[in-house]
Amino acid sequence: MRLTYSKQMLGAAAALAFVVAAGPLQAQTRAETLRYVTGASVNTLDPNIPGSTREAFAVSLSTYDRLVSFGRKQLNGKWVFDLDSIRGELAESYEVSPDGLKITFKLRKDAKFQDGSPVTAEDVKWSLDRAVTAKILGKAQLLTGSLTDASQFKAIDPLTFEVTLPKPDKLALPNLATVYPIIINSKLAKSHTTEEDPWAQAWLKDNTAGSGAYILESFKPGEQVMLKRNDDWNRGPGGKQAFFKRLILQSVPEPATRANLVEKGDVDIVIDLQASDAQSLEAKGKLQVISTPQYNAMTFISMNNQMPPFDKVDVRRAIAYALPYDDMFKAALFGRGELLTGATWADGKPPSGAFPIKQPIKLDLDKAKAYLKAAGFPDGFSTTFSFNVGQSATAEPMAALLKESLGKIGIKVDIQKLPDAQMSTQITEKKLPFFTEGIVAWLPSTDYFYRNFYTGNQRWNYSSIDNAELTSIAQEARFEADKTKYEADGVKLNAINFDQMPQVPLWQPSQDAVMAPSIAGYTYQFHRQVDYRDLSRK
Amino acid sequence: MKLASTAKRAARRFASSLPALFGVLVFTFLLMRVLPGDPAVFFASGPNAGKEEIETIRKQMGLDKPVPQQLVLYLYDVGRGNLGRSLMTGQNVTKDLKERLPASLELTFSALLIALVSAIPLGILAALRPGSLIDHGVRLFCALGVCVPTFVSGLLLIYVFYYLLGIAPDPTGRVDIFMTLPPSHTGFLLIDFLIAGDFEGWWAAFKQLILPACTMALFVIAPLARITRASMLASLGSDFVRTARSVGLSWWRIVVTYALRNAILPVITIAGIVFSTMLGANVLVEKVFSWPGVASYALDALLSSDYAPVQGFVLLMAFVFVIVNLVVDVLYGIADPRISIG
Amino acid sequence: MSSATLQHAAFILRGNPITAVAAAGSTLLILVGLFAPWLAPYDPIASDVANALQAPSAAHWAGTDQLGRDVFSRIIVATQLDLTIALSAVGISFVLGAVIGALCGYTGGRLDRSVGRFVDVLMAFPLFVLAMAMVAALGNRVENIVIATAIINLPFYIRFARAEVNVRRNLGWVEAARASGESHVSVVLRFLLPNVLPAMVVQMSLNLGWAIINAAGLSFIGLGVKPPTPEWGIMVAEGARFISTGKWWLVAFPGLALMLAVLCFNLLGDGLRDILDPRQRT
Repeated sequence: MRLTYSKQMLGAAAALAFVVAAGPLQAQTRAETLRYVTGASVNTLDPNIPGSTREAFAVSLSTYDRLVSFGRKQLNGKWVFDLDSIRGELAESYEVSPDGLKITFKLRKDAKFQDGSPVTAEDVKWSLDRAVTAKILGKAQLLTGSLTDASQFKAIDPLTFEVTLPKPDKLALPNLATVYPIIINSKLAKSHTTEEDPWAQAWLKDNTAGSGAYILESFKPGEQVMLKRNDDWNRGPGGKQAFFKRLILQSVPEPATRANLVEKGDVDIVIDLQASDAQSLEAKGKLQVISTPQYNAMTFISMNNQMPPFDKVDVRRAIAYALPYDDMFKAALFGRGELLTGATWADGKPPSGAFPIKQPIKLDLDKAKAYLKAAGFPDGFSTTFSFNVGQSATAEPMAALLKESLGKIGIKVDIQKLPDAQMSTQITEKKLPFFTEGIVAWLPSTDYFYRNFYTGNQRWNYSSIDNAELTSIAQEARFEADKTKYEADGVKLNAINFDQMPQVPLWQPSQDAVMAPSIAGYTYQFHRQVDYRDLSRK
Repeated sequence: MKLASTAKRAARRFASSLPALFGVLVFTFLLMRVLPGDPAVFFASGPNAGKEEIETIRKQMGLDKPVPQQLVLYLYDVGRGNLGRSLMTGQNVTKDLKERLPASLELTFSALLIALVSAIPLGILAALRPGSLIDHGVRLFCALGVCVPTFVSGLLLIYVFYYLLGIAPDPTGRVDIFMTLPPSHTGFLLIDFLIAGDFEGWWAAFKQLILPACTMALFVIAPLARITRASMLASLGSDFVRTARSVGLSWWRIVVTYALRNAILPVITIAGIVFSTMLGANVLVEKVFSWPGVASYALDALLSSDYAPVQGFVLLMAFVFVIVNLVVDVLYGIADPRISIG
Repeated sequence: MSSATLQHAAFILRGNPITAVAAAGSTLLILVGLFAPWLAPYDPIASDVANALQAPSAAHWAGTDQLGRDVFSRIIVATQLDLTIALSAVGISFVLGAVIGALCGYTGGRLDRSVGRFVDVLMAFPLFVLAMAMVAALGNRVENIVIATAIINLPFYIRFARAEVNVRRNLGWVEAARASGESHVSVVLRFLLPNVLPAMVVQMSLNLGWAIINAAGLSFIGLGVKPPTPEWGIMVAEGARFISTGKWWLVAFPGLALMLAVLCFNLLGDGLRDILDPRQRT
C-alpha cells in the first residue's frame, strides 16, 4: 500500500490526513456498480410478506425470476412496460389452449437456482401453490386472474408446467408476470419449513432462494441492500446477463439530499425526487431526466358518497367545478404529469372506454354555485379535507388552493394532515368525508380499475360509491372477450363515472427518473420502481 | 473501601430508578395504543389488501387481544429481553436497536466531545473577564448556536460542504459505501477501524461523522459553556484560589490546576444531562444525514404506528438516561472527596 | 419591583448592551405579533400561482412561495402564532409546575413522593420523541402542539419550585406567617411562591426560544400546524428543501425571523438572570 497525501485534505485537516490512494481497481468497479438511493426502504426479501414495501418488490425482481415478464414499448418516446406483450422469463415458451382454459409452459433447460440446482416444474408448482395457499400478498393478487387454488397447477414433467383455468381470463397470464408469483428453490425452502410455517415465510423473509439476475450480498433492513451479479443468469433481453456487476441500494430520507447526490454524480439513478428538484435538475441539463406520466395511476380528490353532504350528487358536481386545476397542477407538481381535467367531450359523451380518462370539468365558480344551490346548500357548508403526511410536498399546496377556492362558494374547509397510518385506518373505516389519495393498477384495464376502486364495501372504494349499474357493467366487462363490446362497456362506465362524480380526478403525476447521462435502458414499470436489470452504462 | 461503598451506592441508585423505568414502559405502551392509526391496516396496504390480510397482521402482532392482556404479554416478553417485532423492518426490535445503537452513541459521543472541547475554553475565557467584550462575545456565540433548528444547520452544512465545496463526503450514513467495514468489536467505527489498523477507513468514517456531530454540538455548546463559566466564577472567587494567589503561584497553574479542577464537577453533571437528551433528540440530525441510528428508526416507526420499535426505543432511552445518571453520580463520588458516601 | 431593583436593572442594562438589545428585540417582536394583521402588506394566505417562486423584489420584499403568497406578510403574521404557541406552552408549564411543585415542596409526604415518581418517569423519556408521539396521538392542531411542549417542560418547573419551597418552608419568617394565623394556602401563595418566581421567570424566558425551535422540529417531520396557516417553523422546514434549487429566500427570511426571536428570548433570559440574581450569574 502506498501512502499519499492529497492536497485538499492537507488544507482541511493536515494532522489527520492519512489517505490511501484509491487503487485503479476501485475506480473500475464504480463504473460497473449501480448506486440507487430512495426515501423508502427495503423491509423484506420476499415480496409476499404482508407489509412489504415497493422497494422490497424492486429487490425481489432482481433476486427472483417469474415464469413470464412484460415486454416494453415506446410511449411518446419513452420506454414503458407493455401489458400486451408477455415474454418468457423462466419459461422458454408458453401456449394457451384454443378454449383459453389451459396454459402450458416449457421451462428453460439451462435455468439454475443460485445454489446451482436446476429449476424444475416441481419448483414452479411449489412456488405457485404457496402464492395461492399461504396467507401472503400473492393470494389476493392472483385471484384477479382466476388463479385461486393449488389444484390448478400441474407439473407434467421436469420441464413442462400446466395451469388450468375455470374460465378464460385475459388477466391470468399477466398476473404471473407481476411481483408476487416468484419462483422459489423449493428444496432449499422446504428445508426451512416448520410445523406452523409450512411455506417457509419466516426464512424467506430474510433469505433468498431464487434464480434471479442478482445474488444478495448484504441486507440491512431499512438501511441498505447490496447485490452482486449472477453471472449464470441469461434471461435479459437478447439472452444476456445483467449489465451491472454490483447494485447498491440505500435509503436517504431527505429528498433534497437525494437530489444533491445524483447531481454530484455520487448516485446513478433516483426516482423519488420532489417535483421542484426534478424540474431544477432538468433545467440545469447536466443529467438525464426521464419523466413518464404514470399512466396506470391517478391522483384524485375523493368524497364519501355515503356521508352528508357529499351523498348529494350536486354537491360533488359543485366541488368538481370549484377547483383551480391548473393552479393546483402548477403549484403541487410544477406541471410534471398529465392533467385529467379540462377535456372537451363532443356531445357530452366519453370519447373512449379507457381509464383513467380526461374529464370535461374545469374551474367555473358560477356553475359550482348553481350546483350547490340545487343541492340545497346555497350558503355552503363546513367540512374537513385530509391528506397524509407522506404526501405533504404535493398535497399541502394543493390543499391550500382548494381551501381558498372552495371558500369562494361558501364551503369552509378545515385542512387535516394525518400521519400515514392514521390516514389509511380512517380510509378503511370510511370515516373521512373529503380527502386526496392516489391509486395504481398493476394491470391497468378499465374493468380492473372500476371493479377494484369503484365497487364493493372495501377499502379501495375510496368514494364508497354504490352504483348497481356501474357494478354490473364492470363485472360483466371482466370476462368480455369481444374488443368492441369491451370498449362500449368502458364508455358506459366512464359516462356513469362522470355523471355521478364520486371523486374528482386530478392528474397522473410523472415518474421522474433522474439519472447520470451514462445510464441507459430505463423503463417505466408497472410497479413504479426501477427494474435494475433493465439498466446499463454507456 | 471507597470503591466498595461507591458501588453499593450506585446499586442502590439503580434499584431506585427501576420504578421509573417501569413507568416509562407502561406509559409508552398506553400512548402507542392511543395513537389513532391501526398498524395492521397500514402495513396491509398492498394494492389488493383485504380484510383477511389485515386480520392476519393483527393476529401476528397480538392486536386481536384486549389491551390489558396485550400489556401483560408485552411485559412478560420484555422481561425475557424480547422487545417484539418491527413490521417496518421485519426484524426483532432488539436486533434492530442493537445494530443501530452504536451509530447513535458514536455520533452523540463525538458531538458531546466537540461541544465540551469548545465550551470549556469558552466558559473559562468568559469567566476570567466577566463583563468584558470576550464575555459578551462568548454569550452571543452560544446563543447563536441554540437559535438555529438542527435540521436547518444540518441541511446548510451539507449544502455548503458537500454540494458547493465538495469537501465533505456524501451524507449517506456512517461510512463511504465503497469502503470495506472493519470487523466489528465495539460497533464504534472509529475505534473498530483503529483496531483493524485501517487508517483510510478511519478517515472515511471520521469525515462522515464530523458534519452531523458539529450540527448537534452547536446546539449544546450553550448550556455547557454557561455552566463552565458559572462554576469557574464561583471557583475563582473561592478562598483556596485566593490563598493560592497570595502564595504567588503562577496564573496558569491557578486557573488550570485549582480553579478548573474544582469547577469541573457541575460541568460533568450537565454534560450527563446533555448527553442523554441529545441521544433521544437527534432524530432530526439522523434524518438529515441518513444516519442509521435509533432515533430516526423510532421516528419512522411512530409515523407508521409500528408499536414495538417505538416502545423499545423509549425504553432504551430511559435506560440510557438512568445509566448516564449513575455514571455521573459515580464520577462525582470519585472526583469529589467532599461527597460523603451513604 | 422596588426602586432599588429598577436601579440595579438599569445599571446592568447599561453595562450589558446585549441584554438591552435583546429586551428591545423581544418588545418589538411582541408588538409585531400584536399588530401583525395591520403590518402585513399582503393577505398571507391569498395565492397567486402566476407569480409563484419570485425572488425578493420591491413588491415582495422577501419573495413569494410555491403558491405565489407573499413571504414577508406570512412571516409577519406568523409572529403572532409562534409567540402564542411559545408563550402559552411555557405559561402552562410555568403555572402548573409552580403550583404542583410548591404544593409538593410544602406538604411533602405521599403527594410529594407520587409526584416525584411521575416526574422521574417524564424525565426519563426522550423528550422530543414524547412530543412527537403526543402530537401524533392527539392530532396536529395548535392546541396539541402547545400541550405537548408544555408537558415536556413540566418536570423542570415542578422540580425547581419544589426544591425552592422545600428549602424555605421551615425558615423563620414562614413559621412566623403561619403562627400569625395565615392558612397554608395563603402561606404558599403569598409568602413562598413570590420568592420562587423570579428564578422561574428566567427559566421561562430561556424556554420560550426552545419552544419555538421545538415547534419547528415538529413541522419538519410533518407534525406542525396545518396549512395554509403561516408559521415560521413550517415555512423554514418547507423552505429548507428548496436550498439546493436556489430558492434561498424561502428558508432565509423565515429562518432569520425564527433565529432572531429565539436569540432575543435566550439573551433576555440570560440578562434577566443577571438582574435578578447577581451572584448566580451563569
